[in-house]
Amino acid sequence: MAELTEKNINKGLTILENFKDSKLLTNLNSCVHCGLCAESCVYYLTFKEPYFVPAKKVDLISSIYKRYFTFIGKYVPFLANTKEINDETAKEMVDLFFGACTMCGRCNLHCSIGIDIAYLVRTGRMMLAQMNLIPASIQSTVDSSIKTGNNMGITTEEFVDTIKWLEDELQDEMNDKHARIPLNDSNVNILYTLNPREPKFFPLSISAMAKIFYAAKESWTISTKMYDVTNYGFFTGNVDEATVISKRLYEEVINLDAKELILAECGHGSRAFRWEAPNYLKKEFDFDSNTSVELIAEYIKTGRIKVDKTKLKLRVTLHDPCNLVRNGGILKEQRYILDQVVSEFVEMTPHGIDNYCCGGGGGQLAMSEYNERRMKIGERKAEQIRNTNAKIVVTPCHNCVDQLMQLNSFYKLNVQIKTLAEIVADAIIID
Amino acid sequence: MSWFILISKISFALCFAFCIYTLFRIISLGKPKDYAKTKGDINSSIKYSYTGGMSPVKKESAYLHLPTYIAGILYHLGTFLSLILFFLNVLGINLTNYLIIPIAVFLIISGICGVSILIKRIFKSELNSLSNVDDYISNVIVNVFQFVTIYYLFYLTPTYFVISAVLFLYLPIGKLKHAIYFFAARFHLGFFYGKRGVWPPQN
Ligand code: SF4
Ligand code: SF4
Repeated sequence: MAELTEKNINKGLTILENFKDSKLLTNLNSCVHCGLCAESCVYYLTFKEPYFVPAKKVDLISSIYKRYFTFIGKYVPFLANTKEINDETAKEMVDLFFGACTMCGRCNLHCSIGIDIAYLVRTGRMMLAQMNLIPASIQSTVDSSIKTGNNMGITTEEFVDTIKWLEDELQDEMNDKHARIPLNDSNVNILYTLNPREPKFFPLSISAMAKIFYAAKESWTISTKMYDVTNYGFFTGNVDEATVISKRLYEEVINLDAKELILAECGHGSRAFRWEAPNYLKKEFDFDSNTSVELIAEYIKTGRIKVDKTKLKLRVTLHDPCNLVRNGGILKEQRYILDQVVSEFVEMTPHGIDNYCCGGGGGQLAMSEYNERRMKIGERKAEQIRNTNAKIVVTPCHNCVDQLMQLNSFYKLNVQIKTLAEIVADAIIID
Repeated sequence: MSWFILISKISFALCFAFCIYTLFRIISLGKPKDYAKTKGDINSSIKYSYTGGMSPVKKESAYLHLPTYIAGILYHLGTFLSLILFFLNVLGINLTNYLIIPIAVFLIISGICGVSILIKRIFKSELNSLSNVDDYISNVIVNVFQFVTIYYLFYLTPTYFVISAVLFLYLPIGKLKHAIYFFAARFHLGFFYGKRGVWPPQN
C-alpha cells in the first residue's frame, strides 16, 4: 500500500467536502444502523460475519465524513464512533470498498431507508483514488487502457490479424466473399465496440455478432483505434482516467461519423459509457448509445433477422448482469430474445432486478488478491444455476462470462456459458 | 408560563429551525445534474420509491425480518403520535377521555417495540458491531419520550416537558435526523432508478 501522507488524506477528504448536489449529503446522513441490509448482500450471505454487512461500508465512509465535517465529529467524536483517516482506516477502506463489494447495488433496493450503498462505495473508491491507494492489480488494467487503448494491451497489428481471420471464417460460413467485418469505415449506422477479452480469448463472440450484423444487412464498423467498451476507471474511482477513456470512445464515434454507438455485451462497460460518460465529459451526447442486447431484440422484433427456436433443444437459463439490469434498466429485451431463440428457458430464483451478483463485478476479476473471496461468494450463483437444471447459462456480459466459467469448473456445474449473441447466432436463419 | 414548558418550547423552536435549515440545504443543493439520456420515467419512479418501492413485499429488510419490521413501524408510529400529543399539549388542546385509553395502549405497545429493538441491538452481533453510542442514546430518548407521554396522559408532570426538550435538542446532533434525510434518500433512489428505467419495475 502506498504511503499515507497528510497531503493525500486532504485530497481524499475533498471528495466528501464539495457537495455537487444533495445525493452524497443525504446518503451520508441516512443510515439508522438497523442492519436489515445484511441478507441482501452475497458477501454477508456467504461469510455470515458482521464485517460484511453492507451498512459497514456506509458506516465507514459516514464516520469519516462526520469526523471531519460535522459538529458531533469535531466535539463529541465518541458519540457516533467517528473515524480519522490513518493507516488502519485506510486499510479497512481498501478492503471494504475494493475487496468486499461488487457494487452490484442489490442492497440499495432492500435497504430500509433507501440508501444508495453502492454509490457510497464508489465514493469511497474515489477517495482512495485521490489518496493514491487504488490496488495495483486493478490500476494496471486502467494503465493498460490509457497506454494502449485497450485494457489487455492488444497491439493494433494483433487485433487486425484476429479480425481478418474472423472475416475469412465468416465468409466461409456464409459462403459469401462479400461478408465483412468492417474496420474503420466512416459514415456508418453503427460503431460497434468489443470487450478486449473477445479478440484475446473469445473471438467466437465477435463472429457471432458479425453474423448477426450480416443477417441484418447492417451498416456497421469497428474502430481499430478505440474498440474497447470497458472502463475500469469507473471501478477504480479515478475520475480523470475514466474521463480520458470515455473521451476516446466519444471522439471515435464523432471521427467516424457513426449514427449510433452499440455497446458490446459488457455490463460495466455499457454502464460506464451510457450512464457515466456523459457526466465525465459534462455534456449530453448527440448520438444514441445502446446495448447490443437492445439492438438484437429490435432486429428480431422488426424481422431484420430470422431465428429458429427449435434448433436448440437444451434447457437454457439467464444470468442478469447487475450493471445492465439493476443499474441499467435492461430486463425485458434479453428475455424476449431468449423466448425467440431457445425452446426451453427457465429463470433463476431470484432474477431480474433482484438477481444476485455472480461475484465478478466491481472489478473483482481484475483484483487477484481477492480471488478466494470472489470464488466463495460465487457459490450462491452456482447454486442458483444448479437449481435450474439448465445445460446452458446465457449472460450478456463478458465479465460475468469469465466469472461464470470459473464457477462452472470450481463448483462442477457442467454447463456451457454463452453470450446472448452466440446463442442468437446459432439460431439465425440465413435466407 | 412554567420554566419547563418554556424550555420545551425553546428546544422545539431550535429543533424546528434545524429541520428547516437541513431541508433548505437539501433542496438548495438539488438533484444530481445527470447528462445521460433518460431511459425511463423519473416522476413515476420517484412516486414508486415512496409507495410500492417501500412495500414490505418488495423489501427483504421487511419480509425477511417481519417481527423487527413490524416492531419498527409501530415504534415509529408511536413516536409520531407522541409528537402530535406534544403539540396538542403545548397548544392547550385536551383529549377526550375516550381517546386517552386507546392512545395509552398503543403507546405502551410501541414503547415495548422500541425496547425490543434496543434489546436486539445489544444482543445481536451484527447489530451490535454496527452500533455506536448515538444509536443507543437515540433509542433510549425516544423510548423514554413515549413512556413519559403515556404518564402525562394521566398525570401532569414537568418531567414530560424536560424529556421533550432533551429529544428536541438531541435530534439535530444524532441519527434522529434521519427523519428528514429519509425522504431525500427515497427521492434520490427514485431519481436514479427512474433515469435508467429500472423503476417502476418491469416484471
Ligand atoms: S453493492 Fe452488492 S456487494 Fe456491495 S454491499 Fe451492496 S449487496 Fe453487497
Ligand atoms: S438497511 Fe439501510 S439503514 Fe439499515 S443498516 Fe443497512 S444501510 Fe443502514
